[in-house]
Amino acid sequence: MRRLIWPSVALALVIAYPLLFSTPFQQRLGALILLYAIAASAWNIVGGYAGQVSVGHVVFFGCGAYASMAAYSHFALPPLVGIPAGIIVSVLIAAVIGVPTLRLSGHYFSMATIAVAELVRLIVTNTEFLGAAVGLSGPTVPRTMLDLSFTSALPYYYLFLSVLLITLGITWWMANSRMGFYLRAIRDSERAARSLGAPASRTKLYAFMLSAGLTSVAGALYAMMFGFVDPESGLGILISVKMLIMAALGGAGLLFGPLVGAAILVPLEEISNNLLGGKGAGLTFVVYGAIIVLIARFQPGGILTLIKRLWARGGKTPEPTVAAGATHAP
Amino acid sequence: MRFKHILVLLSAAAMSIALAGAAPAQDKTVKIGAIYPLSGNAASAGVHGKAAIETAIDIINNAHPELGNLPLAKNAGLAGLGGAKVEAIFADNQGSPAVGQNQALRLITEEKVVALNGAYQSGITLTTSAISEKYGIPYVAGESVAASLTERGFKWFFRVTPIASDFAKIYLEFLKDMKAGGQKIDNIALVHENTEYGTSVASVITGMFKDNGLSIAQDISYSANTTDVQSQVLQLKDKKPDVVIMISYTSDAILYAKTMQALDYKPPLMMADNAGFSDPSLIKTAGKLVQGVFNRSSFSIGPPGSPTFLINEMYKKRSGDDLDDTAARMMQGFFVLCDAIDRAGSTAPDKIQAALKATDLKPDQLIMGYKGVKFDDKGQNILASGLVIQLQDGENYVPVWPKDKAKTAPVLPYKGW
Amino acid sequence: MSSILVQVIVGGLLLGAVYALFSSGLTLIWGMMNIVNFAHGDFVMLGMYVAFVVWTLLGAGPFLGAPVAALVLATLGIIVYFGLIRSVMKGPMLAQILGTFGLALLLRYSVFWGFGANFMTLPENLVGGTFDVLGIRIQASRLLAGVVALLVTLGLHLLLTRTSLGSKMLAVAEDSTAAQLMGIRPDTMQAIAWAIAAGATGIAGALIATFFYIAPTVGETLAIVAFVTVSLGGFGSVPGALVAGLLIGVIESVSAYWIGAVYKDIVVYSLFLCFLWFRPQGLMGKS
Repeated sequence: MRRLIWPSVALALVIAYPLLFSTPFQQRLGALILLYAIAASAWNIVGGYAGQVSVGHVVFFGCGAYASMAAYSHFALPPLVGIPAGIIVSVLIAAVIGVPTLRLSGHYFSMATIAVAELVRLIVTNTEFLGAAVGLSGPTVPRTMLDLSFTSALPYYYLFLSVLLITLGITWWMANSRMGFYLRAIRDSERAARSLGAPASRTKLYAFMLSAGLTSVAGALYAMMFGFVDPESGLGILISVKMLIMAALGGAGLLFGPLVGAAILVPLEEISNNLLGGKGAGLTFVVYGAIIVLIARFQPGGILTLIKRLWARGGKTPEPTVAAGATHAP
Repeated sequence: MRFKHILVLLSAAAMSIALAGAAPAQDKTVKIGAIYPLSGNAASAGVHGKAAIETAIDIINNAHPELGNLPLAKNAGLAGLGGAKVEAIFADNQGSPAVGQNQALRLITEEKVVALNGAYQSGITLTTSAISEKYGIPYVAGESVAASLTERGFKWFFRVTPIASDFAKIYLEFLKDMKAGGQKIDNIALVHENTEYGTSVASVITGMFKDNGLSIAQDISYSANTTDVQSQVLQLKDKKPDVVIMISYTSDAILYAKTMQALDYKPPLMMADNAGFSDPSLIKTAGKLVQGVFNRSSFSIGPPGSPTFLINEMYKKRSGDDLDDTAARMMQGFFVLCDAIDRAGSTAPDKIQAALKATDLKPDQLIMGYKGVKFDDKGQNILASGLVIQLQDGENYVPVWPKDKAKTAPVLPYKGW
Repeated sequence: MSSILVQVIVGGLLLGAVYALFSSGLTLIWGMMNIVNFAHGDFVMLGMYVAFVVWTLLGAGPFLGAPVAALVLATLGIIVYFGLIRSVMKGPMLAQILGTFGLALLLRYSVFWGFGANFMTLPENLVGGTFDVLGIRIQASRLLAGVVALLVTLGLHLLLTRTSLGSKMLAVAEDSTAAQLMGIRPDTMQAIAWAIAAGATGIAGALIATFFYIAPTVGETLAIVAFVTVSLGGFGSVPGALVAGLLIGVIESVSAYWIGAVYKDIVVYSLFLCFLWFRPQGLMGKS
């Protein structure tokens, strides 16, 4: 029973956050943290748990974003339709490119994912139906609540929180299932896992497809909140990198790693931009870059592993930690 | 226990969020938000725009009787608000629509600005003005030319600059005039970059030319920030068009200038649609390679002693470069906004909106060469206009068309280097 | 018509040589230390700025600019190695991506802060102009870059395969524990490898500055080209990077001319993907 106290307190605080920090800006910041946490957590499934570092995940993000904006622009449907549509498209893409690409090892896999994402971005930039370079817009004035175009960030916050909890729930369920067991084996040594009979290719593919579907949900939610998507903001490589570094900074392969990473990086970017951006000397990024370098230098396993170590040293039962890929024991 | 750790972290994050949202102390100045690209690929334009707006603030807040009929120059501060000073709060949009929107929200809800100015890139102007529309805050855009911006039925969005179709018309009339003077213009090639700016301007030009009997023989679309343009220049060299119209940002413009020289290609007539070819960086680095290129502008520095000349001197002290058309348009947008606030006599959004709607500035009250500033009910300035300028010596652009605004006659054929 | 095609191909080869030039450093460290360096493009950018400073202060061209850039970058490389790389090397690939991404931002915007956002160039005639060879126009500056690319590739290859330093570096790359047992210090070897790679990148930047524009954001544009070149060539293979670079340069130029500029990248990426799918170790990488 005691084990549930801390989680409950944490959850209560997260739920109460927008009521405690209630300026529009703070609420929006909270919503953004959750949104990026969803994307990073989705990435975590294939990048952290399965150990396949995809640097092209934005292609799935873009699926969801474009699906929701296209549903509105071309069919006058509420952008919400983009969620199931995006999931279908992204899972299909993941299945199609996953088969040949997951055979590649380590860095070659990462490069192939970058190539796929850039290829899709270039194709979309030249496709009129998807807005080409100009992009697609959502409803500027919401028609019904189903359009999910709110002025206040509060509804977004709770919507994203629910989706994040679902994403984390799916991740947790997967990690504790047989699939999760296989993934850990594969991540540690694929050859050994295969020799012991683990269906490595199939498992990696399923993880890839699952991750793709969830990432596209994040993309659709993003498009609904910002009301606009173009090739740079929906399929740009920077988004892939952001997903990745949030998971890495917090702790890849850990359930809450991406959330921690998002909770640090998103406010960090905002604060440095607010304080320094207006001066026009690029200092925002000097500070932001320096902090990331410091964290990578001193805590390559992610912040969460640091916290775990500190608590472990504080006399609590030390949890078995395995570099930056530890899954939690239930 | 894991959750404890997360708790610690989330509290730290929460504290930093509280910091992020800290609202500054109130004072008697009128605060205006300015969202521009101050980092990333378009930073050159944003940084010049910042210097331009700071010059404008200097003019407004201090007495400058030497600047003639320019509104707000004569007195110090805004007379309509008892001499209150104006302050611009700059925010970097980092070239991203999402960041732009976040900053717009921060400026409106935290910094409590009374109006917004921005955002250079049309896609970002789109998303940032969507926020100001939701909050009922006036937004004045001085330089974004995408047509869609005034087609949204917005009530709080006002655009001072001419738009792509205005420029297409200018090019059309100019080329027809050149044809009447004996210049061949039958084969026209459009070279445009592949992002939102290049594609929309190119399609407007193509449409308008087609409707008026001129056809685009070659449409060369390329990816912005490319590493190499040799093949594109060779395509031009192969087809030998009579007119080449370039729609590029600075980086690509520099590449084209150098590559054309390297491959010894000179079109008989070369036109550029502002952006890269107006950037002082281009003129400094490659101006001597593109002598004779035509451009569009609504701004010219004017004779020594004229208000625009004096303003340029003030701007040069801040930025080190002469005022280019883009920065001048940003400055003009800012002036129009402040003039409206002054006439409103209040910082209440609806009063500013009403004052903007009633704007009726005459040409001698502007730094730009527009016919005036008057907004239609879509928020577009219907008196916006432009003229054709030419980089005749590789260092300065001079107005060459229409005849009544020209300083010298157009020099043809294109000289290059 | 066919003389234009020859021009396109020659242009593509020269372009490709440039790609190879600034990718050789990247493949060296990628192969030797298995490091993903997201800051590579910004190292090239720094080389360009060093050349610019050398020209501004001393009026000298790349014959002085390139060696100075090599020294400056090599020094920076050593600092970066001891300051960051050594720690993230021990971590997973993610930590390397994280660290070098942060480094890229730091370098890029420090230069932005110091030099401003304006685009700059070296004067046109710094390395002689353009000359005609049988009707084909060749820019002296690009030709020089191409020649240097060949020299650098040859130099690095010989260094790795024919010198004792090279074999020590390869030993560490192969198995650093075994190398240690043989008296080789992995740390020193890796720092040297990093410095050499950074130096080569500095030379690349200094030469590219003679015909390209100089801006803090150049790194973004060049980095991805380098990544594709290096993986196509095979991580760790310097000759592979040369061949891959030339191939990509020619394919890019010919596609841009025949099909259209917007499609050139689509062609390159598609071919790249197909190639990887069928030959996962790249052109000349280890299986």
